[in-house]
Order: sequence, then structure tokens, then C-alpha cells
Amino acid sequence: MEVNCETIKHLAQLSNFSMSDKQAEKLTGDLKNIINYISELDKLDTDGIEPTYQVFEMENVWRDDEILPQDADREQLLALTKEEKDHQIKVPKVL
Amino acid sequence: MKYYPTIGIECHVQLSTKTKLFSEVDNDARGKEPNSCVSPVCYALPGMLPRLNGEAIKYAIRAGRAMNCEINAQSRFDRKHYFYPDSPKGYQITQFYHPIIGAGYVELPSGTKIRIEHAHLEGDAGKLTHFDNYSLVDLNRVDTPLIEIVSMPDIHSAKDAHDYCKELWRLMRYAKVTYGDLYNGNMRFDVNVSLAPEGSDKLGTRAEVKNLNSFRSVERAVEYEIARQTKILEAGEKVVQETRGWSDATGKTTGQRSKEEAKDYRYMPEPDLPPINLSRQFINDESAKLSMMPSDYREKFGQTIPTDILEILLDYPELMETMNGIDEKHVTMIANLFTSVLLAEEKSAEYLNDLPDTKKLNDLAEMNEKKELSSTATKEVFLSLFDPQMKGRDTKTIAKELGLIQENDLGALEAIVDAVLKKPETKKAQDDFRNGEEKVIGFLVGQVMKESKGKANPSAVQQILRDKLK
Repeated sequence: MEVNCETIKHLAQLSNFSMSDKQAEKLTGDLKNIINYISELDKLDTDGIEPTYQVFEMENVWRDDEILPQDADREQLLALTKEEKDHQIKVPKVL
Repeated sequence: MKYYPTIGIECHVQLSTKTKLFSEVDNDARGKEPNSCVSPVCYALPGMLPRLNGEAIKYAIRAGRAMNCEINAQSRFDRKHYFYPDSPKGYQITQFYHPIIGAGYVELPSGTKIRIEHAHLEGDAGKLTHFDNYSLVDLNRVDTPLIEIVSMPDIHSAKDAHDYCKELWRLMRYAKVTYGDLYNGNMRFDVNVSLAPEGSDKLGTRAEVKNLNSFRSVERAVEYEIARQTKILEAGEKVVQETRGWSDATGKTTGQRSKEEAKDYRYMPEPDLPPINLSRQFINDESAKLSMMPSDYREKFGQTIPTDILEILLDYPELMETMNGIDEKHVTMIANLFTSVLLAEEKSAEYLNDLPDTKKLNDLAEMNEKKELSSTATKEVFLSLFDPQMKGRDTKTIAKELGLIQENDLGALEAIVDAVLKKPETKKAQDDFRNGEEKVIGFLVGQVMKESKGKANPSAVQQILRDKLK
């Protein structure tokens, strides 16, 4: 997989991160190294092997459909936001 | 050149489970304050773990079976990444690679079959309200369970698009998986429209109209798109592949500028939710809970109830369930009363919540058939059956209390007729009738009806009069 400054900037944009060219360059180098390291795995023949989705081998973990008290209430949760208005979270204009 | 339209539809259905898909918080935010039905999971607080609602899996099985779909024993969740304030997680938990509902089909009232590609479970996003220079976020809707139903491109007209959406709405309500309140966005439709030269085996470039919330707007948006794209193609230009918005007010779709990057969702398996692996028994048990579907009712009543009336009744699963308990000979009559009297009533929505039992309705039809109730009286008694104040009473008692039972007792009727014929003011009419003036019989019947305070059966009265005036 080809990683360059463009890839990094693209990912940053998708996640709404601001990123300077300098930061992007540094990250490009880091990520290249990481991917290089992991690429060792490409040498293995994995044909016909089921992908590993998770390592705990659990399945069918679900709960009953009953309302339970939550650890945090509306006021506590809204208190975490930068700005609120009429019990809603105020954000810069989108659209 | 003639162009042939091809339409595919994605439909989001909000499930009416008690709690949300990934936390034990109230899923019914109707009439509740913003951000009052939220949990740390909805807020995506660090360390939060989604906890899957088992009921949503059962709902998905029923929804899938209602569309004649295979239920996949194995399914998994994936993360679909995007950055937008309606989703604090930064991704939507959905089923991209292994959906719970496989291929099936929906049969339209016309008999046309629209194939279902697949359907999957996912969490809804929050709601944004836009103001001049800011937006407000309400997270009540975050993680409301959704089923997204993806059709094959089997639809080729605006009418079929309309009928398909409406039939989905019916199926989801018969399967009891949603409130089906379109006005409040319980079902939302994304419609893909493309045009290709007639006879071509390749599909044209498509435009997608997003977020339609009525069957009528689906139909109108498709009509508009077919006309718009035809014009473009006829001018020798190219249709742009894009997302378009619909306005009910202007009746037009308009292009929505969206960044190219927006389509880069970077799907990955959801590591917080173990896979689902359903036994055949589990799937069968849940499927068995489905009662009769619209197609079953069409088969059962297609010969007795006229199609236009049946199609109206099919919008009301509760009425169809009641129809099941109506004696066969009374089916047409009760169906007519439902459509022409009950549904025309102002309070019909309220009445539909608490229908009278089928015995009362059968008794009513029986009384009408025996001519104990005139057709006007039948309608009146019928409506009274829905009146909360009349509830505990049987049909006959109500009819008596309203004084609507027709006098059919021939002895009693004869006595009334005799009394009328003795009145001097009817003398002339009697003579006229004997002299062959046929139409004065109406006057005499009227006099008897008046004397009986409207309770006499007019055709019986006429017969008695004719016998007596021979």
C-alpha cells in the first residue's frame, strides 16, 4: 500500500483534523515504517483461511429489551459539550 | 429515442423496540425533550461499549420473513466512518459485509415482484436543526434500531416505486416491527433513478434522491427525475452521477454539492460486538410469530371484497385482523361499513385503537340481513359499537336503546296499518289507489312509517297495504 503525504491529508480531512504540512510529513514517515513492518505478514499464504474478525470467540452476546437507568443523565452529558442551547448541543453551522 | 427508466430504492425503517440498539435507554422519543433519551453510548464517551439489543434481532427476522427473505444464520457488524455532528462516534455501526437479512421479494398489489437484494441492521444518527450561523444537535435518535432494505433495480415506473414503498410500509406494520409513522420519519426512502435507451442491456448513469418520507413524494420525485434525465439525454448531454434533494413545495429535485471524499467510509469489522450466529430453531420460532400478510389477505378476500375497498382496508392491519373473524356471508357488508362509515369518521384513528369484537359486528350484519335494522339504522348502530360509552353492551341492546329496531312483527304492523287506514285524511289516497293511481302508495307507506315512529320495515308495510287495498 502506497502511503504519501496526500494519503495522510486525505485521512485528516475525512476526520476533520487540521494538519500542517510538517505534521503530515512526519506522520507519512511513521506510517510508512509501520506498514512496512506489518507487510512482513504479506509473505504468508492466507488463501482459503477465514478472516479473523475477533479473538475472543464469543458469539450471540445480547441483552434484554428493558430500559435501565444510565450512568449519566442529560445534564451530566450536556455538561461535557463545549456549548449548549435549549438542551441541545450547539455546533458550528453545517450543511 | 425512447428511454427506459430503472429504479432502485433503499428504505430505512425505524424499529419500535423499547430500548435502543446499543444501550438500555428509551427508544421512544416521541414528545420527549431533546437529548433526554441518551446514554454514554449514544454520546460515544471514551470507554463506552455498545450492548446489542436482542429484541432488534428478532424484529429483523420478522421483517425479513415478511419480505420472503432468507435469514442469514451468521451476521456481523461493521463500522462505517464519517465525520458529521449527528454522530458523536464518528462512525455508524451497520452490517456492511454480513447482513442479517438475505435475498427475497416483495409482491405489489398488481402482482409485480420486486426483488430484495438484502436488508441489514444499523443504528440511526442524531437530528440536526440548522439556524443562521449555528446548528443544534439532538441525540435522542442516535442508535434507534434501523433496518435498511435494499431493493434490486426491478422498478421501472413512478407508480411501481410508489406501490413498492407503500407495500413495504404495510409489510413492516403487519410484521409489527415499526410504528410506521411516516410524518415522523419512521420510514425514509432513498431512490436511485437512471435512464437507458429502450432495449439496451446496460443501465444509464443514475441520480439518487435522498430522504423522501412519503409515498407521494417518492412518486413525484421519480416522475421529475425521469423527465429531467430524458431532457438531458435528448439534448445529447450526460446525466451526472450525484445525490439530489427533493422539495415537496417546488416539486423539483436539485443537485446537492457533496465532496468526492464523502464516499470513503473505510469500513472495518466492529470489534466491540461479537458476531451473531442464529440456530434454525431461533429463526423458525421468531418467523412463526408472523400472522397473515397482505398477500394472504388478498388471497382470502380477493373474491368477496372489491379490490379498491380491500386495498384501502389493507392499510389497517387491525381491521384486517377483525375481518378474519367475520362470518363469510357478512364480509362484504362489514368491509363496506369499515371503509365508508368508520374511516370517514373524524374519530376513526381513536376508534381503530379499540375495535369491537367480531361477535358484535356479526350480530349487526345479522340484524341488517333480517331487516331488523334499516341500512341507515345499521350505520348508526355500527358507529355506536365504537363509542366508549356503549362498550360493555351487545349489539341488540344498543339498537334497542337507540330505538332503531324495525317492526317486522306482521301482527303489530297490521294493527298500525289498520289504524292509519281508519284515519279520515287517508281516505282520499285509498280511493285514488283503488282507482289505479299507483304512486299514492308512497304517501300511505309514509303515514304508516310516521305512525310507527320510523320503526316499521317499509317493504313489509307496502305489502300489507297492497293486500288490504285490493
